[in-house]
Amino acid sequence: MNQSQTQDSTLFEYIDGGLKGSEKKNFEQILKDSPALQTRLEELRRLDSGLRTIKVEHPSKNFTQRVMSRLDQYPIRSSNLTFRNGILLLTGVLVAVGLGSLLLAGGVFDGTSSIDLNQTIIANKYIQKTLPTFNFNGKLIMNIIILLNLALAFMVLDRAILRPWFERRRLSV
Amino acid sequence: MTNEYSLIDKILAGEQHLYAELVNRYKSYAFTIALKILENKPEAEETAQDAFIKAYHHLRSFNRESKFSTWLYRIAFNTAISYKRKRKARPDDPFGRASFQSIENVIVEYEAGEDTLERDDKKKFISQAMSKLNEADRLALNLYYLREFSLEEVAEITGMQVNTVKVRVHRARQRLADELKSVLQKEALTL
Repeated sequence: MNQSQTQDSTLFEYIDGGLKGSEKKNFEQILKDSPALQTRLEELRRLDSGLRTIKVEHPSKNFTQRVMSRLDQYPIRSSNLTFRNGILLLTGVLVAVGLGSLLLAGGVFDGTSSIDLNQTIIANKYIQKTLPTFNFNGKLIMNIIILLNLALAFMVLDRAILRPWFERRRLSV
Repeated sequence: MTNEYSLIDKILAGEQHLYAELVNRYKSYAFTIALKILENKPEAEETAQDAFIKAYHHLRSFNRESKFSTWLYRIAFNTAISYKRKRKARPDDPFGRASFQSIENVIVEYEAGEDTLERDDKKKFISQAMSKLNEADRLALNLYYLREFSLEEVAEITGMQVNTVKVRVHRARQRLADELKSVLQKEALTL
């Protein structure tokens, strides 16, 4: 804090009535001897008197009536996910992720399977041309499914548990 | 305070209509807090209503360690802040582009005895100076000068430390004084 800031700080304290007894007397003596300080005090006083007139605003006349008619509309920004359902869903998703991971670690999805479109009934009956064959990497697909499940679990955790918890904490002053 | 607590007890016991009494008692300050943050009357009105509805549904969690008004104003403050954040996330929203010029509507009345021209000039100068403050400082200053709130209450409502509020109010007033001085000097030069 530089000298002018310290000076302003003391002046504001003086204006707010924060200076008492000998402290106040000493400051008034310094003030008497300093025209510059007196000018600054006048500036700050004018500002303070301007700010003191900040007034309370009033809402519309039917404010109370509108609040009372909306009391049963809560929650205002609703989420259909209740805490209990959220916990159940989260548990289910986590169990699925756990099982998937176990199977993945066990090498169940290590192989690559393929779908040959030429073997399908429709191809045999109606299509004369040779159709392509698609190869599927089971491990990759499982990894994607697990990742999507984890993202879902995070969303459920956020909406059903964390947000309501923070909301309750914010309201319990 | 006891009267207020017994009123709350009755509301909690199912006498919902008594909540209107609390709404009437605190609606102006809740609305003013929302207005200082949102700077738009219809939005502030909606937000203040939301705050009262939230407070009603969480009345049981009010632990009576602070005043009911402080608890309610904190809900109003948080609701308005959330609303403002959502508004910022929607840049196409016309209210999202509202400038701080609307603060001019907030500081209006000056001491009796000043002529209209001087009063209007002062209003304009304070408004200009206010628009240069950062949002948190301006809000702390506004709440402090509403006179209803002590520094401790401003701190409780905004979730800041008392010392932080003190620093913000002091810094805002100092900047405002400097801004006013420079605005008035510029005006004097153009005369």
